[in-house]
Amino acid sequence: MKIYKYECRRLLWNKFFFGIGLVLLFYGWQVLNRVTILGVSRTAPFSPWSFGDYLSRILPLLWAGALFFLSFFTSVRAKRADILTDATPVIPWKYGLARCGAAMTGTGLLTLLCLGEAFVFYGWYFNWYQWEILLPTVTAALIPPLVLGLGSGWLLGRCRPWLLYVWMLFPFMCRVLPLPKALGLWDGRFFTEYPQTLGILDPVFSMPASVIAVQLLAFAAGVLLLVFNRPAGRGTRRF
Amino acid sequence: MKNLRLFSLELRRLFQSPLALSIIFFTMVSPLAGLIFYKPADADTMLTAYLANPSIAGGAAGGILFGILTVFELDRASRSRTDVLLDAAVSSQSMAAIRLLSLTAAALMTAAAAMAVWFPITRGQIGTVFDGTDYLLSYLLFMGLSLPLGALAGASAYQFTQRADLALVLFAAFAGLSLTVWSDNWQLCWLNPCVWALSDDFSNFRIFRSVAYMRLTWLAALAGLWTLSWMCVRQYGKGIFGSFLRSARRIYRPVIALALLLCSGTAYAAQPLVDHSNPDETVFTFGELEYLEGVVCTGRTAQVFPNLTDGTVTGLASYQFQNTSGQAQKAAFAVTPGYRISSVQINGEEAPFVLGDYQEYNEAMLEVELPAEEAAEVTVEYGGFPQENRNSSAMQGGREISEEYLCLENASLAPRLMNVLPDEKLYPAVIEITLPDSMTVIPFGTGEAEIVSEQEDGTSTWRYEDNGTGGILYAGDYIREDIEAGGITVEFYYGRKHQEVMEEAGAAEAVKAVIDYCTEHYGTLSFGAGGRLKLIESRVVGGGYATEGASLLDEADFTAANLEDGGKGAAAGEVMIHELVHQWWGLGNMFDSSDETSSWSAEGLTVYTTYRIVKELYGEEYAREYYTDQWKQAVDDYYLNFYVRNPEYLDKLPEEKRLEISNSLSYVRQYCEMPLKILKAEELAGGEEAMDEILQKLFNRELDPAYPYLTYEDFLDACGLTEEELNLDENI
Repeated sequence: MKIYKYECRRLLWNKFFFGIGLVLLFYGWQVLNRVTILGVSRTAPFSPWSFGDYLSRILPLLWAGALFFLSFFTSVRAKRADILTDATPVIPWKYGLARCGAAMTGTGLLTLLCLGEAFVFYGWYFNWYQWEILLPTVTAALIPPLVLGLGSGWLLGRCRPWLLYVWMLFPFMCRVLPLPKALGLWDGRFFTEYPQTLGILDPVFSMPASVIAVQLLAFAAGVLLLVFNRPAGRGTRRF
Repeated sequence: MKNLRLFSLELRRLFQSPLALSIIFFTMVSPLAGLIFYKPADADTMLTAYLANPSIAGGAAGGILFGILTVFELDRASRSRTDVLLDAAVSSQSMAAIRLLSLTAAALMTAAAAMAVWFPITRGQIGTVFDGTDYLLSYLLFMGLSLPLGALAGASAYQFTQRADLALVLFAAFAGLSLTVWSDNWQLCWLNPCVWALSDDFSNFRIFRSVAYMRLTWLAALAGLWTLSWMCVRQYGKGIFGSFLRSARRIYRPVIALALLLCSGTAYAAQPLVDHSNPDETVFTFGELEYLEGVVCTGRTAQVFPNLTDGTVTGLASYQFQNTSGQAQKAAFAVTPGYRISSVQINGEEAPFVLGDYQEYNEAMLEVELPAEEAAEVTVEYGGFPQENRNSSAMQGGREISEEYLCLENASLAPRLMNVLPDEKLYPAVIEITLPDSMTVIPFGTGEAEIVSEQEDGTSTWRYEDNGTGGILYAGDYIREDIEAGGITVEFYYGRKHQEVMEEAGAAEAVKAVIDYCTEHYGTLSFGAGGRLKLIESRVVGGGYATEGASLLDEADFTAANLEDGGKGAAAGEVMIHELVHQWWGLGNMFDSSDETSSWSAEGLTVYTTYRIVKELYGEEYAREYYTDQWKQAVDDYYLNFYVRNPEYLDKLPEEKRLEISNSLSYVRQYCEMPLKILKAEELAGGEEAMDEILQKLFNRELDPAYPYLTYEDFLDACGLTEEELNLDENI
């Protein structure tokens, strides 16, 4: 816990965290003010669909933020300090868990920042406070990709630190590549296209089985990568 | 020599600092913001969208970033607690100057790199109307000069306060002012210059002059401020005042600072680009002058000599008067502010005159006393830099005078007579203008200009005859195409740079088709009398106007981007048709555009007429697929829109947001819903022929001079229908 707290402070109490927080707030406000306010697929700006569209637009920045947090632990400079941390009487996987927890906390805080901003926006403009309606959208749109991002980023960063920066481009690529409909949550088209196929006005939030399966797979893959990608023990060769 | 070495070391160190490198990177990327979300210039030209906005965004972001970098760099020694060591080796003032120099050098290098990186992208986006000079000047003035200004402001803030946090707050406030409350003041917006449009087809030197003037004013102001702050750099353990007094011992330092601040203040107060017109535009005292009794103007002439290099005009105008009153009386002329009157002669003798300080509607008043003699010839020698109206100072660029384009309107062509009635010949005028051979002179009216002499210096003198006290003249690198249509000859003038776009869009065919159709169905244009009509493409001005024998087309209507706007027609040629139909619905018949949310506007009848022309040209199937079906789809979407279904949520939004959304929805109402309603009216009124008859009657109706607009009520009355009968709820 002490290590976790220390890592959290290292990760969160610095210019980078505040900087990316400000960038996210600025970008989020631009999206909310210019896109979300119009509503997507003829639905209200505060419908799960419009909110999902907002989340899918800020996901690439959250993804990049999560990977930036990991870069604190996988950079060349951090690896040089590993010699010292390895000499401490801490079990490596516990140490890794603490770091992973800190990265998750940082990512979670950034996510909360974006959600908070959206809630302030809805309250401010529409006096709308039924936030619980939006929870399934958050669960489906953000949690699987961010967990996958942390798991895969952890693996890539340990292989080659620079791979993290390349991996940051992944969600941006998803938005421009023609992906199958099952990956609609990754390119953001799901929220604008799927409600129109339902044939009713203001449909409640739902997802077809293929989309659910993809999100579950992404979540499971992320969890597996986090669990089985523990830091190496003492004496083993590092990358 | 030592300072030079230190500068080189400092610059090298700067380029190794991760923070500086990131700021350089983000500054180079920042023009992207102008393509995505920060779009202060809103005209529809290609250069506005792909050059002005990116370079302004790059300048604003780069200025802020370099200001922040400057604060951090100046604070670096203090932050790392090496300032004591550093001060022992180099004087703190020398080091401050060297740091500023290296930051300025880095800023200029960054601007040059951004210019190089964005060149191919911008060129690709703009296409055939790309111009290297515009590109260079835009990036230099809109972006490049903003970066050193940011560095100067950041350095001044830090040197005064000697604290990074306080300096950042001061700098943020200064930058925030420019981006918000000063953003519409062309002299104060030091980060984001007031640029609303750049022309694709013609030059943009007037707006570049305005921005350069603002930048230089601020450069002098911030350099003066920086010199003062530099004198406050702490030395010998003294505080701000002690350090300042010690620095001031060398008298040239405060003198330089004051001279720079004085220069800046003078440049601000005595700016030559914008006039001092009365901001209350309900006042029109010049229009209320009483006509002189017993005095008539029997004719006038003017010789005009524009200087295309420095954008000035000189001229000699003479006016013939007949005074039968037997008394001396004062004739009043309107003169464009910025022009000076060098002499006034009456019958060949020097005469006194008064050029008033009061200005309104971009005119000042010149008063000359006419003698009691029966015949008097008044000759006025004038010249200078024509200023723009201060009430539209955020939209400068209209007074462009260059080798590519000039437009001289009324008093800027020659002093405009205000209080003397004409004789029976209605102010006959002979105008001569001398311009380079490459320029074509186009009088805006029935007059035809012809070359009367060619000089050896590559200029020609053109002459044309006109009537009236003012007159408008266009000249530029124009191409003329004569088109026989609707029983008249249309002289179609457009910029040479636009030739490719016009040919691709089938401009000549579109003009012919539209004029034939509209003349046959609605009637001839009142301003196309005499069997000839000049259609002149103007530099981007945000609108058009017409007079007898001539009509104006704004270049923004014919940009490649506009021609691809599906809302105005399915193909480029159809957008051209749409814009030309506005000569009938928009100019020939005007519409009250004061209510922006109203669905009734010139667009409804224009889109409907475009549909009818396309139907005639390409068949019913084509017109249905690309027009009526698309209107129906858009109107379907509109009626299902959340805010249309739930207007109470729209009311909850702040007014600014509400208007933004209403305006975006009003596009559908004007371009799709209203044409559908007119189509429904056509069905109810008895078909196309019946509608043509109704529209013809409306087009040729007697106009009320007090309110000459065609209203929705006029349309409904002419159709014999009510508003409710045209509702689309059930029959879309």
